[in-house]
Amino acid sequence: MATIKSSDSVISKSRMTTPKEVWYKRKGVQTVLYHLFVGLAAILMLYPLFWLFGSSFKPPDEIWTNQTAIIPNEFYPDNYPNGWAGFGGINFEVFYKNSFFYAIVGTLINVTASCIVAYGFARVKFAGKRIWFSIMLLTLMLPAQVQIIPQYIVFTQLGWLNTWLPLLLPRFGGQAFFIFMIIQFIRSIPTDLDEAAMIDGASKVGIFYRIIMPQLAPAIVTASIFSFYWTWDEFLIPLIYLNKPDLYTVSLALRTFSDPSGQTDWGAIFAMSGLSLVPVFIIFVTFQRYLVEGISTTGLKG
Amino acid sequence: MKTTKLSLILTLIATFVLSSVAVMAQDQTEVRISWWGSQTRHDLTIAAIELYEELHPEIDIVYEFQGWGDHWTKLATQAAGGELPDIMQHDYARIEEWVNNGLLLPLDSYIEDGVIDTTNIADSSLAGGLVDGELYGINLGNNSENFTLDADAFEAAGIEIPADDWTWNDFEEIAMKLHEELGIYAIDAGITTEQLWKSTYMSCCDSWAYNEDGTALGYDDDQPLIDYYNMLLRLQEAGAMQSYEENVAMGDQGVEANLIVPQEAAMAYFWSNQIVAVWGAAGEDRNLIMHTVPRVEGGQPQNYIKPSMFFSITSQAKQPDEAAAFIDWFVNSIEANEILSAERGVPVSSVVRDAMAPTLGAAQAEMFRYLGVIENNNSPIRPADPAGHADIQNNVWGPEFVEPIMFGLITPEEGAAILREEATRILGQ
Amino acid sequence: MAESVITLPKTKRKKSSKFGQHNLVGYLFISPWLITFFLFTFIPLFVSLILAFTDFNVLANSGDFIGLDNFNRMFNEDRRYWKSVYATVKYVVFAVPLRLIFALAVAMLLNTTRRGIGIYRAAFYAPSIVGGSIAVAVMWREIFGNEGLVNFVLGLVGIVGPNWLGRPETAIWTLIILAAWQFGSPMLIFLAGLKNIPKALYESAEIDGANGWNKFRHITIPMLTPIIFFNLIMQMISGFMVFTQAFIITGGRPLDTTLFYALYIYRRAFENFEMGYASAMAWVMLLVIAILTAVVFRSSSYWVHYEADEGN
Repeated sequence: MATIKSSDSVISKSRMTTPKEVWYKRKGVQTVLYHLFVGLAAILMLYPLFWLFGSSFKPPDEIWTNQTAIIPNEFYPDNYPNGWAGFGGINFEVFYKNSFFYAIVGTLINVTASCIVAYGFARVKFAGKRIWFSIMLLTLMLPAQVQIIPQYIVFTQLGWLNTWLPLLLPRFGGQAFFIFMIIQFIRSIPTDLDEAAMIDGASKVGIFYRIIMPQLAPAIVTASIFSFYWTWDEFLIPLIYLNKPDLYTVSLALRTFSDPSGQTDWGAIFAMSGLSLVPVFIIFVTFQRYLVEGISTTGLKG
Repeated sequence: MKTTKLSLILTLIATFVLSSVAVMAQDQTEVRISWWGSQTRHDLTIAAIELYEELHPEIDIVYEFQGWGDHWTKLATQAAGGELPDIMQHDYARIEEWVNNGLLLPLDSYIEDGVIDTTNIADSSLAGGLVDGELYGINLGNNSENFTLDADAFEAAGIEIPADDWTWNDFEEIAMKLHEELGIYAIDAGITTEQLWKSTYMSCCDSWAYNEDGTALGYDDDQPLIDYYNMLLRLQEAGAMQSYEENVAMGDQGVEANLIVPQEAAMAYFWSNQIVAVWGAAGEDRNLIMHTVPRVEGGQPQNYIKPSMFFSITSQAKQPDEAAAFIDWFVNSIEANEILSAERGVPVSSVVRDAMAPTLGAAQAEMFRYLGVIENNNSPIRPADPAGHADIQNNVWGPEFVEPIMFGLITPEEGAAILREEATRILGQ
Repeated sequence: MAESVITLPKTKRKKSSKFGQHNLVGYLFISPWLITFFLFTFIPLFVSLILAFTDFNVLANSGDFIGLDNFNRMFNEDRRYWKSVYATVKYVVFAVPLRLIFALAVAMLLNTTRRGIGIYRAAFYAPSIVGGSIAVAVMWREIFGNEGLVNFVLGLVGIVGPNWLGRPETAIWTLIILAAWQFGSPMLIFLAGLKNIPKALYESAEIDGANGWNKFRHITIPMLTPIIFFNLIMQMISGFMVFTQAFIITGGRPLDTTLFYALYIYRRAFENFEMGYASAMAWVMLLVIAILTAVVFRSSSYWVHYEADEGN
């Protein structure tokens, strides 16, 4: 901590001695500069999306002849209904339903389980904890490509092809990424409340529900956003387990549009790809609000 | 939290039950089929399937479809898990590998018994599906490589459309002139594909890149290949051909992105069934002419008729007989092919071709016309690519041969030596 | 390790419940993970380890035990192997720090309650959620193309940008810049971590006269170290396993300068069907990552500060 110089508080000094108008002006300039700088950066960040959405309104004979432009020469909204029509009568409504089901249920299971497991690792002492934690991390380090065929054989023997079981059941164990992340968050929570609760006779389980979970809000929000997005975007697992086209997810359907050896409707791909970003965006914007409140564990230390 | 969990579990059970219901036995015979393609092909194929189901109510065709890359990932996984469908769409470059691993059924008995009727299909069309003398795939549409010419560009540059037997020397001359006169590329750098390696040796020396049983290279003299790449280097240097690095930057974007579409090149090289896509992307008002591939000086035609894709019956098929019946209908029925619109290439049945001729669009008509020209102007197709081909194509052709040469890191002579060494090693395994 | 049934005085019970072993409770809490691990993950892991010592071919669905041949081939005979190692290491060395720096810097920038902050956060997170569809590949190629955004921005400063994706010298930088561009995920985690720091700490520091830099150095960073640690480990792991962007944008070209390790594994497994060889490659990577992770873990006791461990 910096040495305390009570008389030289910079902030209090500036607030006390600077006239109100100057202070507001300075604040105003700060705000403008902030918005200018951050806003410009934000536009740069969003540029790819502008291009994607702009191109989705180009007619087929403009997509490759007028590639760089964001604004099409000819406004062609037909890409959207064309793309939405999907394949052979199975349109994107089906695919969106499947994706939403998978992403929402998958996320709920995933994040809940991860919290439970993370608490065990973070707050409970038990024999073999280190070993299991290491193994859990190890599972993150083996590329999926060499795991899917043995996994596929296991699930086919169980007869679970064309069902949601291979996709959802493994999530009941949480996901190593989230478990680790939540462990870190839990470990940043001081144990004072835990101890207080223990004195009052609460069990480990009770502490989990009543003390830890509420304080994990930012972590849970973050994990949920990630989980939704990753599940939404996942294609390898759905590809091999969901064989029937009416079970396809949006991410799978998008990949089914293109055939370099034949004919591809690029406008439709752009349109549907852009559209598929909307749910993820909405989830993000809705939930990031909860990162604003944050945690104020006051009243304990003070 | 607790109620959410409960309703969650209930939802899961419900979903499980529902999907199991769909899987429960029906009194129809189920035939599974899997193909790759894009939206157009999926729509057309499904429409054809639905027609078949109307005509044969006792058959229920369960279909799966995916994009090109995913198709092979998925089917390989299914093969390992014993879950291959009855019918799978297959590819000339891969069929031998699948046959060697016992994953496909020979179809000759079905042809002998007349289940698959080949009376209207030329032998040359069927030849591509032969592996070791047995037929493993039925050709779904004929294809041939082509050089598409932008007639307007040729006119503007004052160049005449070349003859059908034009050579690579003619090509180089024309390319240089097009670049001089018009300032655009003559062609993109896609002509570095291994297809033209194979067909070069077909043209110059009546052989092929590989020998008959696929155990070694099929030629001893590297010079034709070296000459070809020296030509490419000259064209790249002069700016008449798109630079290789630009081609890499473009990536794998599909044929609609070909340079001829935005008129940045006057010629283009692709498979004949892709003309529909190219013309569509370029605009209806364009004047595109499909033309033969140039041949080696004094050699045979460099074109051959290739099956664009096959339907094969897998060895894990549960209903091989019904599968064969479906394939027969798919290839021979006029109504089926009217739905399918020759999207997979020119139909192999002469009866079907004649029936469809009046109703074709401009691009398709051009494709039919072109294949007609090629029928009189081709060299016989060679056996399917040997098992080592994928390895050579992925691990040697690009990274060790074409790219170092085109980036100027090695000479074509050095490249040819490396190619020979590595390919011989791989094929000898 | 049975817990004593005798009633102990209150203080002693508190001690034992805090420091004592809770094996049953612990295993209960991690049981979801444990069960699914043994049911669904253990077999594939184990099988792939065995396959690493065979020449298993996916289509043939068979293979023979060949001992260490795969490893010998990998290290001594396969030219492309070392190219892929080089590309991957280069990527990790540059992309991971860049990503983390951008993530932390922007997270701090966005850690305010100004109006419209949600929009900015969404904007900065946007590049990370575009996913890996083929349309996105076209989009990124367009942006790094000759007349794309990157060269345009460089042009504003007077630099003539190269053909990023076409030249062997620059292709991998496309992917590195892309990784830095997509810093949204670690940024979000940093944001959550920043939100986790009690305001009271900042308030009392301000009363004591601390300025911005001091607050950052003595409150923010120490409180954030568990999250920095997490992001460092996870970005490192996912950096080594980078796949999708190379898969859809460059395909490993040109000249294998972007042939990342995971991409090469995929090729060997699904284009050449050499699952044995691919498994061997995968386990070598696992070993390397595990060792590096262990090193970082070891170092963590020196620089990572856990609130929960205070006052013990």
